[in-house]
Amino acid sequence: MSEPTLVPPSTVVLVSGGSRGLGLAFVNDLIDHGVKVAAFARSLTPELTALAEKYPDQVHVGALDINDEKAGQAFVKEVEAKLGPVDGIINNAAVGQDSLHVHTSADQIAHIIQTNLTAPLVLTRFVLRRMMAKGLKGRIVNITSICAQRGFPGLVAYSATKGGMDAATRSMARELGGRILVNSVAPGFFASEMSAVLGQTQLDQIVRRTPTGHLTEPEEVVPVVRMLLLDNTNINGQAIVIDGAAGI
Amino acid sequence: MSELTRAQIRDLMGEVMKAQGKELPSDDSADLREIGFRSLDFSELALRVEDEIGDELNFDAPGLRQIAKVGDVLDFIEQLQSA
Repeated sequence: MSEPTLVPPSTVVLVSGGSRGLGLAFVNDLIDHGVKVAAFARSLTPELTALAEKYPDQVHVGALDINDEKAGQAFVKEVEAKLGPVDGIINNAAVGQDSLHVHTSADQIAHIIQTNLTAPLVLTRFVLRRMMAKGLKGRIVNITSICAQRGFPGLVAYSATKGGMDAATRSMARELGGRILVNSVAPGFFASEMSAVLGQTQLDQIVRRTPTGHLTEPEEVVPVVRMLLLDNTNINGQAIVIDGAAGI
Repeated sequence: MSELTRAQIRDLMGEVMKAQGKELPSDDSADLREIGFRSLDFSELALRVEDEIGDELNFDAPGLRQIAKVGDVLDFIEQLQSA
């Protein structure tokens, strides 16, 4: 019987939506752990630009829309030339929603699906093809949401895209036969997001119903994503919920 | 079709409430929670207005959360029509 071969830690990670918030936190954390990072977003922030200037041999950044397929492909090729072959992806870029389904235009629904589901699948396909052609192993982490598993008003199309990414995660993990580890990380609502749409009374009620006593913070998601990209865990095809058990 | 007047929107709002056995007060400052006009009732009203004007009135939820009184509902629908 042949020995199982482990998937090595990712060395060059592509991060979509890496200019702010959770995406930027992933970028910072991976840099701190010696990983080369290629991050893009529709517009670059001073924070991300500063990282690229501070770590020119470790970080490559670009301003592009994930829906621009050709620009995404060109960026991946730039990254390969500068940092080496991509062997890790964090599909983080997404647009949110805060509108009831009956009052969301068909165009807006199409935009949410394009940005949150079609575009990451197309980008992932492109990177996978290049990884496989080079005989590389690798890891993919899709940032989804608790909305993929539980219902919330005002998030119908968004939830559909996140559920779609969770489903794609499982099928990709099967399809890639352990050569590429594919997982989802599904955060609960962040305190910052919730406070924007809910009153203090509602926030307090949600916190009381959360066994850990607090809403998810971005710094609680970062180590889980790092583990999936860098550690040997045999976790594959999973959607890992990080919500303090609020959703169980 | 042209935009509905404030009075026409008010009539439609009254119909939404009447269908639930409730009555729309004449006072624009009436509190929506007190009269039992919920967010889905607002959706029903918006859809009825759409039917009348033959156009969609799509909107995000944040604006809806600011609505507390009957007058706010009428203001919001008027603004949506003219947007």
